[in-house]
Amino acid sequence: MTTTVERTGRRRRTALRAFGRTGVTLLGVAISVLLAAPIFWVIVTSLKDATGIAADPLGLPTNLVVANYERAWHAGHFDRYFMNSLLVVVPSVTGVLGLSLLSGFAFALWSFPGKRLLFGLFLLGLTLPLGVLVIPLFYQMKALGLLDSLWALILPQVSILLPFGTLMMRAFIQDLASEIFDAARIDGCTSVQLLRLVVVPLVRPALLSLMVLSFMWTWNQFLLPVVLTQSEGSRTLPLGLNLFKGRYGTDLPLLMAGATITFLPVVLVYLALQRHFIKGISAGALK
Amino acid sequence: MAGLRSVDEDPLRTGRPRGSSSGRSKRVPIAPYLYLALPVLVYGTFSLWPTLQLLLLSLNDWDGLGPQRFIGIQNFVELLGDDVFWEALTHNLLWMVGAALFPVGIGLLLASLLARSATFGRTALRTVYFLPQVLATVAVAVIWGWIYDPTFGAVNTMLTMVGLRGLAMPWLGDQTTALPALFITWTWVQYGFSMVVLLAGMNAIDEVFYDAAKVDGAGRWHQFRHITIPFLSGPLATVVLVTAIGAFQLFDLVFVMTRGGPGTSTQVLDIYMLENAIRYSRVGYGAAIAVALSAMVWFFSILYLRARGTFRAER
Repeated sequence: MTTTVERTGRRRRTALRAFGRTGVTLLGVAISVLLAAPIFWVIVTSLKDATGIAADPLGLPTNLVVANYERAWHAGHFDRYFMNSLLVVVPSVTGVLGLSLLSGFAFALWSFPGKRLLFGLFLLGLTLPLGVLVIPLFYQMKALGLLDSLWALILPQVSILLPFGTLMMRAFIQDLASEIFDAARIDGCTSVQLLRLVVVPLVRPALLSLMVLSFMWTWNQFLLPVVLTQSEGSRTLPLGLNLFKGRYGTDLPLLMAGATITFLPVVLVYLALQRHFIKGISAGALK
Repeated sequence: MAGLRSVDEDPLRTGRPRGSSSGRSKRVPIAPYLYLALPVLVYGTFSLWPTLQLLLLSLNDWDGLGPQRFIGIQNFVELLGDDVFWEALTHNLLWMVGAALFPVGIGLLLASLLARSATFGRTALRTVYFLPQVLATVAVAVIWGWIYDPTFGAVNTMLTMVGLRGLAMPWLGDQTTALPALFITWTWVQYGFSMVVLLAGMNAIDEVFYDAAKVDGAGRWHQFRHITIPFLSGPLATVVLVTAIGAFQLFDLVFVMTRGGPGTSTQVLDIYMLENAIRYSRVGYGAAIAVALSAMVWFFSILYLRARGTFRAER
C-alpha cells in the first residue's frame, strides 16, 4: 500500500519536474487571460458603436469610437457623479486615516480605565453589517437634516471604516520596537511629539495601505448612496452607473463606457500601488 | 481581547511623569481619553447609536412618518411565518456554503500556483488575479449583465459559435439559473481575497520544512497535504469565515443584477429588509429582519475573532 503511494508520488513528481516552473508560470498566464477577459472586453466594447456590436458581439472594434465616453460624461451626467465621488472620497479617507491614527495610538500606548470596554466596542464594529445600519441611519440623517447631502455619505463611511482602521493602526504601533518609546521618553517627548515625529513616519507604509483600501471601499460604496441620497446633486459614480444602466441599458457601448469611467480610477490606483492593497488586505485579515 | 498588553510599567505609556511612579496612588491618564474623544464621537454617533435605534425599531410598528407603536416581539413572530423571509434566508445560507467552497477553493489553487511559479512574473500574475476584487460591484454587475445578455452576451454568443445554440438562454431571467449565475459572478470577485490571504500564509511557512520533506522523499501532494495545509489552518479559518460572513451581507450585486427576481428566486435578506423598511414603509418589520440577520453575522463573527486569536497565539 505504502509503496504504491510512494511510487505514484514519485511518478507524479517526475512529471511535474518535466513540467517545471516555466510550465506552471505558463498555466498561470493562461488563467490570468481567462480571468481578466471580461474587463478587457468591457473596454473594447466601450470603444465600439451599436452597429459594430450587432455585427460581431465579441470582435475587435473596426474603428475606435470615443463618442461613447463623451456622451456618458456630459449627457449621462458622469461629470457630476465623478465630482461627487471625489468630494465624498477625499474627506472620508482623510477622516478614516486621522481618526484611526488617534484611536490606534491611544489603544497601543496607554492602559486606562474603560479601555477593555471601548476596545470591545470597536471590535463589535468589525461585525456590524452595513446593510443593517442603513435603516436607522436613514431616519437619523433625516432628523439631522443631512439626508441627500454628501455629509450623509461621508460621516457613516468614516464610522464604518473606523474599527478596521483602529485595529490596524493599533497593531502596527504596538509592533514598533519598545526601545523607540524608551528613547522618546528619555528625550522628554510629549505624546503629541511622539505621534507626530516618531509614530507617523514609522507606520507610513501601514497608513498608505489603509489609505488605498479606504479609497477603494469608499469609491465603490453603493449601499449608502442608494438609501441616503435622492437627487442628482448628491449621487456618486456607482449609483449614477446603476441609474444609467436603467436608462441606457440597451446601448451596450455607452453602458460599458460608463462602467469604465466608474472602475478606471480605482484600477489605476491599484495598478500603481498594488503592493499596498495586497499588504493591507492580508494584514487586515491576519494581524 | 486576550492580546491586550499590559503597559503599566512604562511611565510614558501610563502618562505618569518620570519619577512620580514611586507615589502610591495610581494616577489615571487623561491623554488617551483626549485622543479617543473624536473617534469615539464619530463612531458612537454613526454606528453605535444606529445599532441601538435598530433594536428599538424592531420592537415597534412604524410607517416611517407617524407615531411609533410598541408591539414587543410581534415583528419577530410574524417573521417566523413569512415564506419570503425563509426563502431569502435559504438563499443566503446556500450562498454561504458555496462561498466556503468555491471562492476559497479557487483562492487556494491560485495561491499554490503563484507560490510554485517562477519568481519573475509572479507579482504581475498576482496583480491580474486580484483585479476583479477592486472593481465597484455595480461595474461588475454591468459587466456580467453583458456576459449573460440573451442577445449580445458573451455566453450565448460563444454557445452559438460552437454550435450549441440550443443551450443559449436568458441566464438572469430564468428562475432556475438566476441564482447560480449571480453566484458565479460573485465568485469571480471574491476568490482574490482568499488568494491573497492564503498566499501571505504560505509565504510565512519556513522553507526548512519543505527541504526536510524533500530529503525524506515526500512528493508535492504530500508536502501540500502535510506541511502547507496544517500551517495554513489559521489563514484558512479566516478566509472561510470572512467569506461566509460576506455571504450574509450580499446586497450590491443582487440589487443591481436581478433585484431579487425573477419572482423571489434570488431574494436575499438585505434586499428583503430594505424593501420592507423603505419601499413598503414597514420600518419595524425591516428592522426585525435586520436584527435576525445581525444575529447570524455576529455568530460567525465571534467564531472568526476566536479563530484569529488562536492564530495569533500559535505564532
